[in-house]
Amino acid sequence: MHRRGVGAGAIAKKKLAEAKYKERGTVLAEDQIVQMSKQLETFKSNLEEFASKHKQEIRKNPQFRVQFQEMCATIGVDPLASGKGFWSEMLGVGDFYYELGVQIIEVCLALKHRNGGLITLDELHQRVLKGRGKYAQDVSQDDLVRAIKKLKVMGSGFGMIPVGGSYLVQSVPAELNMDHTVVLQLAEKKGYVTVSEIKGSLKWEKERACHVLDHLLKEGLAWLDSQAGGEAQYWLPALFSELTSRDVTPEEANQMTP
Amino acid sequence: MVWFSLRCVLSRNHLCGRTLFRTLSAVNTASTAMSFEWPWQYNFPPFFTLQPNVDTRQKQLAAWCSLVLSYCRHHKLYTVDVMEVQESPVFNNKKIERKLSVEAIQVVFEELRKKGNLEWLDKNKSRCLVMWRRPEEWGKLIYQWVSKNGMNNSVFTLYELSNGDDTGGEEFHGLEDWMLQRSLQALQTEGKAEIITMDDGKGVKFF
Repeated sequence: MHRRGVGAGAIAKKKLAEAKYKERGTVLAEDQIVQMSKQLETFKSNLEEFASKHKQEIRKNPQFRVQFQEMCATIGVDPLASGKGFWSEMLGVGDFYYELGVQIIEVCLALKHRNGGLITLDELHQRVLKGRGKYAQDVSQDDLVRAIKKLKVMGSGFGMIPVGGSYLVQSVPAELNMDHTVVLQLAEKKGYVTVSEIKGSLKWEKERACHVLDHLLKEGLAWLDSQAGGEAQYWLPALFSELTSRDVTPEEANQMTP
Repeated sequence: MVWFSLRCVLSRNHLCGRTLFRTLSAVNTASTAMSFEWPWQYNFPPFFTLQPNVDTRQKQLAAWCSLVLSYCRHHKLYTVDVMEVQESPVFNNKKIERKLSVEAIQVVFEELRKKGNLEWLDKNKSRCLVMWRRPEEWGKLIYQWVSKNGMNNSVFTLYELSNGDDTGGEEFHGLEDWMLQRSLQALQTEGKAEIITMDDGKGVKFF
């Protein structure tokens, strides 16, 4: 008697067994997916219910808002992903960030003539709050960052440069590369920077330092001070703390180039 | 009535008026020095360096022109001596140890001249008239006061207008003679007034 088990018949049997296992596996996997989907649906509807119950809280309380967004992120949902859609309709969250984006643009435009299109997140926050008045929803810096990220995605020339523990918000598409960014970060401490300081801290050649400073002057982000008593100082209006609390006076408003 | 009694003063009014004005001016400066609000640029060190970047320089000069005009308006300065003004707080910020150079001051003044707010009194450009309000604008203010008080068809001496008791509270009170004359000339052109020559000086009739 042959014990080979390797005949056409055996192969066919094997194939059938494999197919059955596969099917089983598929069924198993499908099972799992259906299970998981059901769970996800439950999770999602719970989240929706939660959102609906706490709608006011989400709108009014910035910390709550952050936590809610993080929760959504955990299940891969971005409430801001589209202007329309369930989330924004139910919560009006989409509108909230859209409106905030518009406010941010307004503030940046109003101050562009002073700071060349660069503003600290702190100052932006101060001015946005001021513009909203007493009875409007509170807005946190986290909210601003999210709104700016949205603006960035829409290709509006917005960007954020990390400096000194916070950010500089760039609202004009001035070409700023790594060299420029690093010099901005160096200038953050005193509001100005010199060629020697750049050479000392960043270990650059003079030409490289001058090249960056010239670019900042050209973009209107920096002003030259030649009376500093030593070498020239390059000051950034965006970092000039005395400036940040000042309103735009009518005289200044008249000077703004169209 | 007032007109008659002032006639005897008219012959000396030129000198008298000026001295009176200068004293007023000094008092004004002392009491108003505290309340002048400096723009943010004033404490920004680079503001006192003429900017190399063309666009930034434009903004800078516009801000300087604004500052000079508001400063002069606040202190009721009509005539400026370039050498003297370099030491004035407006061009010399002692707190931040920055001052605008004479060359830069000339650039600012040239901007003001182009805008019609400044006139040189001499070829050497050492003294100038600063018109933080143009003659036409002054004329309008004066005419408004005349109309409001129902004094059309009255005659005034120049002194009465700029230094009379009746005009005490008005903005044009203390207006320097040269500017007053130009303002009245502007009104004359508009047919609202006529400058007349009297025994001891000039007067004006409003219509």
